[in-house]
Amino acid sequence: MKKFNTIFVVDDDLVYHFIIKKLFSKCNIDVRTKYFFNGLEAIDELKDKVQTDNVPDLILLDINMPVYDGWQFLEEFKKLKKTISKEITVYLVSSSNDISDLNKSKEYQDEVKKYYYKPMTQEDFETIFV
Amino acid sequence: MKTSLTSNNYLLEEKVSFYKKILNQVPDLIFQLTISPENNFYFSYINKNVISFFEVNEFELHSNPIDIINSRLHPEDKNLFFDSLQSSKKKLQPWDCEFRVVLKNKGIHWFKVVGSVELDADKNTVFYCNLSNISSVKNRELKVQESETRYQFALEASKKGIWDYNVKTGKVYFSKESLDILQLDEMDNITSNTQWDERIHPDDLEDYLLNIQAHIDNKTLFFENTKRVLAKDGTYRWVLSRGKIIERDAKGNPLRIIGTHSDVTSNKEKEQELLHNLDIIIEQNNRLLNFAHIVSHNLRSHTGNFKMLLNMMDEPDDELNQEECLGYLKTTSNALSDTIDHLKELVDIHTTIIHKKEDLNLGLFLNHTLEVLSKEIRDNKVTIVNKIGEKDTIKFNPAYLESLFLNFTTNAIKYSHPERIPEISYSSRRENGKVILMIQDNGLGINLEKHGEKLFGMYKTFHKNDDARGIGLFITKNQIESMGGSIQVESKVNVGTTFKINFNEEV
Repeated sequence: MKKFNTIFVVDDDLVYHFIIKKLFSKCNIDVRTKYFFNGLEAIDELKDKVQTDNVPDLILLDINMPVYDGWQFLEEFKKLKKTISKEITVYLVSSSNDISDLNKSKEYQDEVKKYYYKPMTQEDFETIFV
Repeated sequence: MKTSLTSNNYLLEEKVSFYKKILNQVPDLIFQLTISPENNFYFSYINKNVISFFEVNEFELHSNPIDIINSRLHPEDKNLFFDSLQSSKKKLQPWDCEFRVVLKNKGIHWFKVVGSVELDADKNTVFYCNLSNISSVKNRELKVQESETRYQFALEASKKGIWDYNVKTGKVYFSKESLDILQLDEMDNITSNTQWDERIHPDDLEDYLLNIQAHIDNKTLFFENTKRVLAKDGTYRWVLSRGKIIERDAKGNPLRIIGTHSDVTSNKEKEQELLHNLDIIIEQNNRLLNFAHIVSHNLRSHTGNFKMLLNMMDEPDDELNQEECLGYLKTTSNALSDTIDHLKELVDIHTTIIHKKEDLNLGLFLNHTLEVLSKEIRDNKVTIVNKIGEKDTIKFNPAYLESLFLNFTTNAIKYSHPERIPEISYSSRRENGKVILMIQDNGLGINLEKHGEKLFGMYKTFHKNDDARGIGLFITKNQIESMGGSIQVESKVNVGTTFKINFNEEV
């Protein structure tokens, strides 16, 4: 059984989107993915999906993004989560190895399951999806 | 006759015996000293008290009086003693002398001798003398003198001044050292409390009065206050005052306060310099952290992309399009070099030690910017309101000021409200001699609660504009700060944004 079926990728970096797509195909992972360029786009879409209970299983979330960054997304997500029955896993995926970001991620331990450093590797994908 | 003579003699003898008995009863030290014309000394009379106090023995009593005197006088006082004696003898004026004696058992004692003097029929000089032991008075006097000397030296060495305030009359005694701090002297006639208080820096007056009141109300054991006081040359000196109420009336109201003054100007200046340096260090440290943050976020994401793209090209699968990968490599490479350029610009702002600073007229620079942007202003039908004071001139880097006006103006146009005619208003005013520039628009506004923290951060954007890069405000803020200024923002979503820039003329 597959761990995840529907995935939101939230990152402002187009190159990263491309890499993620390639990793899916390389690892033969068949999932539905949706790509967003900032936190606000993702949270708006999520609010929409809540109505139809068609929310994703997994969100790969970048920290540093325009409009709404990862933290602002998490603030909104925290409020939204209470209204969602389905469990949504959130992984932070950031190039930042800054201690302040790591500490801040711990403030969201109810929302964030794991912190991945960029670049994501094939091994990372295998542990997540297989 | 003989009988009467005998009886007279008898009477006289009886009288002498009576006086001798009386004399022996009085506690004073009494003696009679006779000096012959040949300068020989005789004790014609010494009462018992003298003999016992000066530890004179039977054998000595028959020896030369000079020897007795010499053996008991303090070596340092011998000259004084005999000189005064001779002078009194010569002038036939009362003898008065203070001297020390050294006694075998009793040690050193101070004595004062007072004697009347007369010549008898045989040209002998006769002194009738009374000795008093003044040791305790003398010792007290010496102790006071010694402590006064010590005290005076301590004051001089510590450069401390003394003040003595009579609360009822308002009169104050200021010591020379106190007046010296302010380059004043007795000629300036500073003798009252008000004369001192009116020299205190207005900003320090309230604290000073509060501290005094606290001591008057018995809340503090001492009065202590450090404040700036105006010196004669027009500069302010930092003066530390310490004092204590030493007398109160029955109701507890202070009558007299005594205290010290010390000049702590150099300490204060050092302290302020230290605080200033601390500020600089904190600022530098924040910049370093900010820099590390940028490196961690931005540079690492590009290198990560390079690594992944190259990995893919190294182990190609069927679907991989080499062309596409190359395209993304190029995108990443461009992004990387942009980031490096921005970082370099940031480092340049803060590492150029001598920034080129000129006297710049705000109005002239604004007009120049408006000309540069005239096409954008026309195309977007922007209303410009220029309320900048004609004479408002600042010391600033010309390139920075130009980029400041360009940045705020283009931002205001870029983020104008779609339902309104954009209006940008520029104004300036002076506060404490420093120029403040306000740039106000009626645009989209920014939710500061949400975005306030990252407003001036690098690569932060808040609106869904495609051409927003999130670099302008970041660079502008750094430029303003490198010139010693600061920037503040007020904004309301759908109402507009006001930026307030404080220029620091002094740095």
